[in-house]
Amino acid sequence: MTTARASIEVRDLVVRYGSVVAVRGVTFTVDAGEHLTLLGPSGCGKTTTLRAIAGLEKPTSGEIRIGGAPVFSSSPAVNVPAERRGLSMVFQSYAIWPHMSVFDNVAYGLRVRKRPEAEVTTRVREALELVQLGELGTRSASKLSGGQQQRVALARAFVFSPSVLLFDEPLSNLDAKLRAEMRVELKELQRRLDITSVYVTHDLEEALAISDRIIVMRDGVIEQIGSPGEIYDQPRNTFVADFVGSANLIRGRRRADLERDGLVVIQTQGGALVHGIASGRPPGDEALMAVRTVRLRLERARPATQVNVWPARIRQRVFQGDFTQYHVDWDGRVLIVRLATPDPLAEGDEVFVSADPRYCVLLEE
Amino acid sequence: MLVLYPIAYLVQASLSVGDPQARPPEAYGLDNFTGLGRYAHIFGNTLLVAALATVLAVIVGFTMGWMLSRTNVPGRAAFEQLMAMPYYVTPLMGALAWALIASPNSGVVNQVWRALGGEGYLVDINTPWGIAWVMALFEGSVAFVMIGAVMKSMDPAMEEASQVLGASRVRTMLRITLPLVLPGVLGAAVFVFAEMLGSFSAALVLGLPNRFYVVTTAMYQLVSQYPPRFPTAAAMGVSLFAVMFAMVWIYRRIISTGTYVTITGKAFRPRVMDVGGLRWPFLGVCAAYLAVAVILPVLTITYASFQHLTSAIPRADNFTLINYKTALSLDAVGAALGNSLVLGLATASIGVPLMGFLSWLIYRSRLPGAGLIEYLLMFPQAVPRLVFAFGMLWAWLIFPIPIYGTLWLLLIAYLTVFLPLGLRTISGVILQIDRSLEESAQMCGATWGYRLRTVTMPLLKPGLIAAWLLLFIASVRELGASILLMGPKAKVITPAIVESWFSASTELTAAMAVLQTLAVVAALVLLFAVARRAVQHGGE
Repeated sequence: MTTARASIEVRDLVVRYGSVVAVRGVTFTVDAGEHLTLLGPSGCGKTTTLRAIAGLEKPTSGEIRIGGAPVFSSSPAVNVPAERRGLSMVFQSYAIWPHMSVFDNVAYGLRVRKRPEAEVTTRVREALELVQLGELGTRSASKLSGGQQQRVALARAFVFSPSVLLFDEPLSNLDAKLRAEMRVELKELQRRLDITSVYVTHDLEEALAISDRIIVMRDGVIEQIGSPGEIYDQPRNTFVADFVGSANLIRGRRRADLERDGLVVIQTQGGALVHGIASGRPPGDEALMAVRTVRLRLERARPATQVNVWPARIRQRVFQGDFTQYHVDWDGRVLIVRLATPDPLAEGDEVFVSADPRYCVLLEE
Repeated sequence: MLVLYPIAYLVQASLSVGDPQARPPEAYGLDNFTGLGRYAHIFGNTLLVAALATVLAVIVGFTMGWMLSRTNVPGRAAFEQLMAMPYYVTPLMGALAWALIASPNSGVVNQVWRALGGEGYLVDINTPWGIAWVMALFEGSVAFVMIGAVMKSMDPAMEEASQVLGASRVRTMLRITLPLVLPGVLGAAVFVFAEMLGSFSAALVLGLPNRFYVVTTAMYQLVSQYPPRFPTAAAMGVSLFAVMFAMVWIYRRIISTGTYVTITGKAFRPRVMDVGGLRWPFLGVCAAYLAVAVILPVLTITYASFQHLTSAIPRADNFTLINYKTALSLDAVGAALGNSLVLGLATASIGVPLMGFLSWLIYRSRLPGAGLIEYLLMFPQAVPRLVFAFGMLWAWLIFPIPIYGTLWLLLIAYLTVFLPLGLRTISGVILQIDRSLEESAQMCGATWGYRLRTVTMPLLKPGLIAAWLLLFIASVRELGASILLMGPKAKVITPAIVESWFSASTELTAAMAVLQTLAVVAALVLLFAVARRAVQHGGE
């Protein structure tokens, strides 16, 4: 299947509904062939941004370019209607037309483009094969399960070789198990289509799984842009640290006198020394660090590492299947540690908590 | 524009104190309003009838609503469908039928009473009670729909909690169910009361013989007498309109603020209460209502239409087809029925695209001021049709194009007074269609026209057909606006039936009513046939 990949540039995008500002000046680019995800809680402006790119929402100001050509600009005024932007989109509600067959649904974009019927038939069949619905073409679209509708929506979106695919929370209406399956399939499909995509979700795992880059949004502004690894292990501030999985936040006073090897050191009120990385952020006198609950280790014997080893006591143990969550008394407060290993630690045990300084990250405040 | 123009003229006329025939008015003043004091008893009558009917209708609506949505009465689903029937019978049919059943001299019930040796009469329908009774039977189904909806949206867990804590079923009903649905019931009461204030046909048919007037019939009388007293009638109309507007406003307040936590977004399973042996009496109550509101009137009218002179005891030589022969041979009747059908066709065919476009404008275009437009278009809802027609009469009399007395004026009137009905029907369908269905077509590259043709219209089709038929039926049976606006050369069927009631024989009138109903039934049959085909088509 041939596709023409296009880049997207969004500059100073503002979208206002009456007195409500949904998006307040957002700037980012998506490279040709890149898979970008907009991640954030509901009401953060991610869907509005996506719809502005699609042309379904008219921005108040800013500029959007697709493949270098402006499709929206407030000055000079340009607003290419959605149907002429050459994009495609998968909707949260799937938006499968109930009065058409599966085949007609998928063929729609090709027929709009007046492709010869022979080509329509071949390409729709190919697309249905690709989403594993080969035999369902003649079925009425109103008689499909949620997962099948999802696949039809996908096939319909890419069959006419759009330059960009937009996804608006496409998996949020599926149950957890199906969602996990579709996530893998979607990633596989993205690779085979080799297409530029922008994906909107509030689901962290989804974002981490299928993106080249993630943009975390809140209240209409961008909080952080980075690869899934960066977003997860080097959150920029408390919002990202909190929204993207669970993290322990540790506050302390800067101990510049102890700093070596490019590490930042803080001392907590209880006296514990924590070594971490600045990851390009300027450290002040007071500092806040984040460490993911899964990056902490618990051991009975003191580990051999030089720094970030502290004595602690297990207060509570919660078995959660995939992992066990420990609430640990440390430095006059509670740390949360998640361990995937089957393990003999019991409530009341004296242990050592340790953390690799690479995972203790200085936050902006 | 269509809406405000007549209202403005109504207010103007009500303030005119100069020569009643002078246009534009020579002088303005409030004399017409202060002069209304003479008609105080008419306002009293109106309030009395409306209050009586409201109480009755709400009792009917509440009882039926509770039984059919909250208890395990046998055949609930079927009854719920049937509860729409009284609405189709219309107050006019009901009034005619009940006049045949219970008028003091010739009423069937009273004939039987005298045959059994009774003196005078047993029941008299030509009283405020009679009018209220007929109107309540009709509005009962409206109250039922409104109250039933509230009851269904109540989480049954609230009742279950009461029962778990040891309260009996009756106690639960009185202490939990009733207070929770009270705002909904109040809302329905206010709505029904407002409708009653503006209702016309029952009061006309049953009140006129005893010179018992309510505001609408008094207005009609003032306008149709010679010389007509337009300003006084206009002042009455404005007063009534003001009261109704206040009622509608109160209704909206109740609906928007007072509903407690009854309606939650949380999904719950609708569960009904087991009322045990009471099931059968309850079933009886439901059946009785339908019998009194639908079956009895329809049977009576049909029976009377085949009689020389309606008598309680059927006799072979009394049966005849002469009424139908007369009705069909009377040019006036044939022409009126023809006019009505043509008007119905025109109203529905022009109305559906027009109202479809307006709904789309209001709910889809995100035009600034869409809310205001909606409010304006829903305005005729708050104005009794007769009052509205009066405004139109006044407005179009001086219109440069002479459309007064022609079917064109009626067409305009129908399109205006049925705006709310059509808008609500069509917008209900538009709102059901998720916006993303259209957007996804747009993302596939389809232009506006292509989207409309391939996605929007096919999805809207069943709803538009339903709206078309509703408008058609409503137009063919319209009375309040038609009776004022039709000209001698452009009669329509419903006012013709009323005229015949007062001037010709009862039995002939019954035949005409049956003929009209048959036309409407034919339309309904068409509706179901088409709807079924549409459903099958969509389901393939």
